[in-house]
Amino acid sequence: MANASINNRIRRLRFDHGEMTQEELAQRVGCTRQTIIALEQGKYVPSIELAFKIARAFGVTLEDVFQYEE
Amino acid sequence: MAPLQKRAWWGLAIGLVFAVAFVLVFVLMGGIETFDTDQGFRITINVLWVGGLVANLIILNLTLRKPGMVDERDRMILDRAPRIQWLAVVFTLVAWVIALNEVYRATDLIPAVYLYVIFMSVLIVSTLAQCLGIVIGYWRANRYG
Repeated sequence: MANASINNRIRRLRFDHGEMTQEELAQRVGCTRQTIIALEQGKYVPSIELAFKIARAFGVTLEDVFQYEE
Repeated sequence: MAPLQKRAWWGLAIGLVFAVAFVLVFVLMGGIETFDTDQGFRITINVLWVGGLVANLIILNLTLRKPGMVDERDRMILDRAPRIQWLAVVFTLVAWVIALNEVYRATDLIPAVYLYVIFMSVLIVSTLAQCLGIVIGYWRANRYG
């Protein structure tokens, strides 16, 4: 399990979806803007539920948003 | 700043103001001997004590009840705050035990009014430590993830 990390493309996906703001995304998935900031900075790993909500907000699969790297 | 973080800072500030006022009033109005005999003094202290706790409860509970104000990350930080609370309460009790033991060792008799004062101080410390735990939780989450 050493050096495993979960990366995400939330910032990129926001940009690709009409430059969606962090606040807009937060409202869509039901979390605070601070959590979106922490996610984008890689300082927070979301629950499965929130991860699915984020993927659905962008209309993509979970793995299009989050990547698990060992 | 997350809404819960903002409320924790407010809770800490208001709690500290009440705690300082509580200690000042207690010392300036005559301390433990007067507290035991003067009902007006006891009422003033009780108002400060209960007022501080209620103010803090309202500040935190109002945040938690509004939809969308607290999410899973906030709840994770909130769930970790009791670690700080527990430590603060234990250290407060240890300080009381050592202080009372040293001061009243010769007489072998600790005034019963201290039970009330210890209880009040532990509740105040516990409330302040909860806010401090939340503030530290956010600091750690923002710094280390």
